[in-house]
Amino acid sequence: MRANAWGYVFGEALRSLWRNGFMSLASVTTVAICLAVLAIILLVAVNLQYMASFVESQVEVVAFVDGSVDRAATRDLEARIEALPGVREAVFVSREAALERLKEQFGEHRDLLAGLEDPEANPLRDSFEVRLAGAQYAAAVAGELERMDGIEEVMHRQDVVDRLLAITQAVRTGGLVLVALLAAATVFIISNTIRLTVYARRHQVGIMKLVGATDGFIRWPFFLEGLMLGVLGAAVAGAAAWMGYDLVVETLTAAIPFIPILEQQPLLGNLMQLLLVLGAVIGAMGSTVSVRRFLRV
Amino acid sequence: MIEFINVSKVYGETVALLDVNCYIDASELVFLVGPSGAGKSTFTRLIYREEVPTRGAVVVDGVNVARMRRREVPFLRRKIGVVFQDFKLLPDKTVFENVAFAMLVTGASRREINRRVPEVLEMVGLADKHKAYPHQLSGGEQQRAAVARAIVNEPRILLADEPTGNLDPDTAWGIMELLLEINRLGTTMVIATHAQQIVDALGRRVIALRDGQIVRDQLQGVYHAR
Repeated sequence: MRANAWGYVFGEALRSLWRNGFMSLASVTTVAICLAVLAIILLVAVNLQYMASFVESQVEVVAFVDGSVDRAATRDLEARIEALPGVREAVFVSREAALERLKEQFGEHRDLLAGLEDPEANPLRDSFEVRLAGAQYAAAVAGELERMDGIEEVMHRQDVVDRLLAITQAVRTGGLVLVALLAAATVFIISNTIRLTVYARRHQVGIMKLVGATDGFIRWPFFLEGLMLGVLGAAVAGAAAWMGYDLVVETLTAAIPFIPILEQQPLLGNLMQLLLVLGAVIGAMGSTVSVRRFLRV
Repeated sequence: MIEFINVSKVYGETVALLDVNCYIDASELVFLVGPSGAGKSTFTRLIYREEVPTRGAVVVDGVNVARMRRREVPFLRRKIGVVFQDFKLLPDKTVFENVAFAMLVTGASRREINRRVPEVLEMVGLADKHKAYPHQLSGGEQQRAAVARAIVNEPRILLADEPTGNLDPDTAWGIMELLLEINRLGTTMVIATHAQQIVDALGRRVIALRDGQIVRDQLQGVYHAR
């Protein structure tokens, strides 16, 4: 088609969008709600997964050394831990090293930790990070460590990882079902909007056929209208998700500086692209349904 | 230019046309007469393939449109202009836009449209009304706009289904003279009409239909058989 004809096609789609006012608004809103829910689910899911992998990448069992044990005795402690069945390696982390590590996690908030370098002020304890030969040894090793002299407390994180992964899975499955239902409803609402357009323009379509417009030419404005509804809704959802995520990340990192949460970029950029594509697909499907059923060309 | 060969058209129980045979030459003008329900509209609709015959062949410009594929129909329509009793103008578009619309959908450029549309409006006598909307025009003016739209793509054939049916006698004459002028420039024309006075006064070829059959085909015909 020529530029002139495309101008007409776009113009018709926009005019119709405007003329259908309320229905257009309803369509854009449902697309936006559907995709915003999808965005929330995706953002929560990827962050849960990130958290799980972050926790998993940490040591599997941490044994805190009793404050009464002096540094010389920790060598002996290390040997005893490594002798336990299922233990691959025990790495000693001094309280000074732990403080350094914490500072790194605090990043730009590190000044909060100022003054703790003084050995008297450092609240952290010496510990052993115990790497296991396999996750299945976690419970047994943790039990042995708890009974060991000189060990004050044992943390073992496999349960945390498992729970995070389970939640991730639930969020994903439930979320996808919800999004599928919402998407179906959205396609339906868009197809209804386009149906109204088809009805409003039935005379025009009749005349177009009469003067020799091809079926494709007649269909384009309707198709584009649906596409625009979908993309507009996606843009609204994307903008909301973007601002919402910024706010959440800001609030969370202010409250808990070392919380493992994914950076805004490239996550939000990718999400935006995904939403726009999905919006376009939903809009195109909705209009195709109506053009097929009601526009008898 | 137009040939009907053993054409029948049946809608359910109703027989609209029965075994019609006729030939209309290029540049010819034919009045199609007969009582309501005689099959005049079906006759014209078969030519621009709004309908497909139940039996027989309708040959337009050398092609049997009865067996034409759907996607070829738009290109047939660009060779045929159609004018109706109720004008069928788009109410939210100006006269210029209504006429330009017919060119636009065929993929004409803005420049071609801006050159051709004023020319056609001049020809139908609406040059000064190009910015008016249909509701601002009289019936005769609306029909002139519809004729302009029908001929803007320079069709080989112009079909008119009771083009003066909604107009007073004087206005009807104006429209008919316009159609005659277009025919003089070489456009084949089929006009279905009840305008007895006009048909009788002009003495052109008349095809009379009754109950779906051609009952009379006269070269210098009148409305009623004598």
